[in-house]
Amino acid sequence: MKFKFIEKFKERRKRKKNASGGIAKKRLQFAIIYDKLEVSDTMLQSLHQDILTVISKYFEIDRESLKIDIKPTEDLSSLVVNTHILRAKPSSAKKKKLAAQKASQKKQ
Amino acid sequence: MEGKVIVITSGKGGVGKTTATASIGAALALEDNRVVVMDMDIGLRNLDVVMGLENRIVFTVVDAVNGVCDIKQAAIKDRRIKDLFLIPASQSDNKDVLEAEGMIKLCGELRKQYDYIIIDCPAGIEKGFQNAVAAADEALVICTPEVSAVRDADRIIGLLYARSITPKLVLNRIVPQMVERGDMLSHDDVVEVLSIELIGLVPLDENVVVSTNTGVPAVLQKNSPAGEAFQRIAKRINGDVDLPIEVPKSGRGLWKKLARKIGMGRRGA
Repeated sequence: MKFKFIEKFKERRKRKKNASGGIAKKRLQFAIIYDKLEVSDTMLQSLHQDILTVISKYFEIDRESLKIDIKPTEDLSSLVVNTHILRAKPSSAKKKKLAAQKASQKKQ
Repeated sequence: MEGKVIVITSGKGGVGKTTATASIGAALALEDNRVVVMDMDIGLRNLDVVMGLENRIVFTVVDAVNGVCDIKQAAIKDRRIKDLFLIPASQSDNKDVLEAEGMIKLCGELRKQYDYIIIDCPAGIEKGFQNAVAAADEALVICTPEVSAVRDADRIIGLLYARSITPKLVLNRIVPQMVERGDMLSHDDVVEVLSIELIGLVPLDENVVVSTNTGVPAVLQKNSPAGEAFQRIAKRINGDVDLPIEVPKSGRGLWKKLARKIGMGRRGA
């Protein structure tokens, strides 16, 4: 026996999730934030590039995964940067130490 | 006591400012207030036809500001509703003909003679808007549950804040069936996006078209859900701040269906 009503219910929920009202709300929230901040696409792109460079100094990251979002909160907009970290890069002091160790090992 | 100047505005055109002005003005007059509604859409006047007073225009708001006539001559008395007056816009001038100072002076005079001065603001954010809001004490922002109208409302709200006016929102033309289906922004969505206080929810109502066709205010029509919603908004403006805001329902619920079957249903309640 198939529970038709359950399937119908599921389908209805799915439809509601994908309904255009929610899409409208999301689009509006972004449109309004961008309107207010007057951020341009080129500015966002160069910010993206700069953040990549800065983070890459300290971490090895999946460059493709870096995402920048401007999100609405109660009374301010927040800039959210998300990225996958592969591993931390050794600090410059550590690097020197490592290099020194290698050099001494070679001598021996 | 001095009267209150309330501007009805929206940013976007065609969302129902003029209907709202006429309805709220009429409803406030029905609540025993002396009310004047003023059309500030210079060059594109319409409040006069919506109110059915287009044949009685002699002087306009431009004449009143420029001292061509006195206020009593410019204010047309509505014959159906006691203490309701209209100051029409001029059709031959354009929006640059007035200045904010003139409006402030005129509204100062009107405050002495009326309890409420309701101003129908033109669409846009240019000089017509600036003149219409120049003397306003309060503002209502009319918005429909559409992306374009909400975005423009946000812009207008920002401009009103810059003038130290905290506006309230009227969400107009709600289609409850579509909201329930998820295919229309709900009033909660709009309030959240605009972060603004709500003063009324108005359902889409065919009676409004009939009302503008005939020039009879929607609040005088029987069984008009929109007319009733505007009446409740007027009550809230008039001091009944605790009057709950009714959310338009589709009337498709089980009980409503049953009630309608046995002839107890109320249309659009």
